[in-house]
Amino acid sequence: MSTIPALAGAPAATHGAGAAERAAEGVAARVGRALEAVFEAVAETAAETEALLTRVAAEGRRPATADLAALRPGLHLRLSREELASGVGFIAEPGLLSDVPAWLEWWQSTGEGDVRPLLLDLDPGRSAYADYTHWDWFALPRDTGRRAVAGPYVDYLCSDEYSLTLSAPVEVAGRFAGVAAADVYLRHFETAVLPLLRELPGPAYLVNARGRVAVSADPAHLAGSLTRGPDFAAVLERARPAARGEVRLVPCRPVPLVLVMGAGLGSAASGEAAREVAGRGASSAPSAT
Amino acid sequence: MSGGGAGGLRMGVGQRSGPGGLRAGVGEAGVRRAVFAPVERRARVDAVVRRIGDAIELGLLADGEQLPGESELAGQLGVSTMTLREALMALRQQGLVTTRRGRGGGSFVSLPGRPGQARLKTRLRGWSTEELRDLGDHWAALSGAAARLAADRTEPEDLRQLSRSIDEFMGAADTAARSRVYGRFHVELAAAAQSARLTREQVALQTEVGALLCLVLGDAEYREEVADRHRAVVLAVQDGARDSARTLAERCVEESAARLVALRLSL
Repeated sequence: MSTIPALAGAPAATHGAGAAERAAEGVAARVGRALEAVFEAVAETAAETEALLTRVAAEGRRPATADLAALRPGLHLRLSREELASGVGFIAEPGLLSDVPAWLEWWQSTGEGDVRPLLLDLDPGRSAYADYTHWDWFALPRDTGRRAVAGPYVDYLCSDEYSLTLSAPVEVAGRFAGVAAADVYLRHFETAVLPLLRELPGPAYLVNARGRVAVSADPAHLAGSLTRGPDFAAVLERARPAARGEVRLVPCRPVPLVLVMGAGLGSAASGEAAREVAGRGASSAPSAT
Repeated sequence: MSGGGAGGLRMGVGQRSGPGGLRAGVGEAGVRRAVFAPVERRARVDAVVRRIGDAIELGLLADGEQLPGESELAGQLGVSTMTLREALMALRQQGLVTTRRGRGGGSFVSLPGRPGQARLKTRLRGWSTEELRDLGDHWAALSGAAARLAADRTEPEDLRQLSRSIDEFMGAADTAARSRVYGRFHVELAAAAQSARLTREQVALQTEVGALLCLVLGDAEYREEVADRHRAVVLAVQDGARDSARTLAERCVEESAARLVALRLSL
């Protein structure tokens, strides 16, 4: 989709440590707000699903796939409204529905402005991909009870795209019923966010809680690579900017991404300070917020 | 049928070029001639036969299931109705499809009484050893590159899925399920490399090789060997040993391809 607008931003200050910090914090806040809008769409889906499932339970029966059709107008609306979201829907906990063992009520935008349902073969006797319950976008909200950002990851189940998936648990009468979710393709996220990163006085990129780069304006840290060393999960936990040498780490509250900004031109440090190797694979904190 | 997603049966015949496909001649004029030469119909027929036959062998199309109408199926596969008819004729000869005429008629998936191994060997006979060798080369290139990149880019989360696939591979109820999980391991490896392109290529390749792998995964000793090779790949990826991860993944795949070639030569 070529209609993703860049996030509007005030011109950043270009000199002075305090100014650079303020600029980084401003960009982090705007990145956080952009994804927060997608999270709001996820929350709407979760609320509608919860209401629907509660209504069906009040009728004294188990929900079926036909009941979930009532979610479609809302899902289509959110797909057309949220420019960053390319797929939205509800993914049922296996066993929830009476007519199928597992189900994704999932809709995707086609890029030509249309929407289409995702139809997967979820028969474990025929597909090696029938069990979706181990994917982060399902397992994190289920296990933590909180919303989560999965990825960046290659989504070979639904879209074949390098993606972020934002998801939140759906509970009915205190029981986990599945997750509401939205897909943000990385290429769209980059279109929206890169102009902001390029405003900053130092080389900057965004990482998730595990240090995986999501979007980068720093050729030394490309999307998909891992930044080892800093404990990004701890930065997100404290929800405050931190420094590591000349590298600034700013949480993009309220979403679990960290803006990493190296020292500006003229400094030898650039992005290298953040790449100190400190033992492989030490941190794998879940990125629930 | 979804546009994306590894769970679906991917139609479309364009992924593999048969003998009449893009075999470039020497020089740019030769290349252009090859590009715009009509694709040999025989190659397309074979490709359709393989695609539908593989889907039936893998259980993606169930016994008794009705295939879409001729013109619809031809449209989905991107081939002419004539090509599709020839392919259906070949599938009928292999006993994988029956055609009923009249009201309620059409083409139906039919699993004959012959044991699966015999049917699969008929399918393997449709491949030349050169094509099998080339398939193995392509697979090794994909999985080797994926393993190397994964070693640089992986985190414990990616490895959990790969390890789970190794367990499922060993615990699979039959060879069809085992070959599906074998393929999934390599798709997951490509995803661990953080490459959407390598992942898409691997998914497409697995739709071709999956059915054939059933023929070599029946051997209990070889099953153990594949699981060991996969474990070694995971360990190398975990250690960030990019070169050995690549070599181990390539060897794993080359061994499977070599076994298919050996079996083909024995037929």
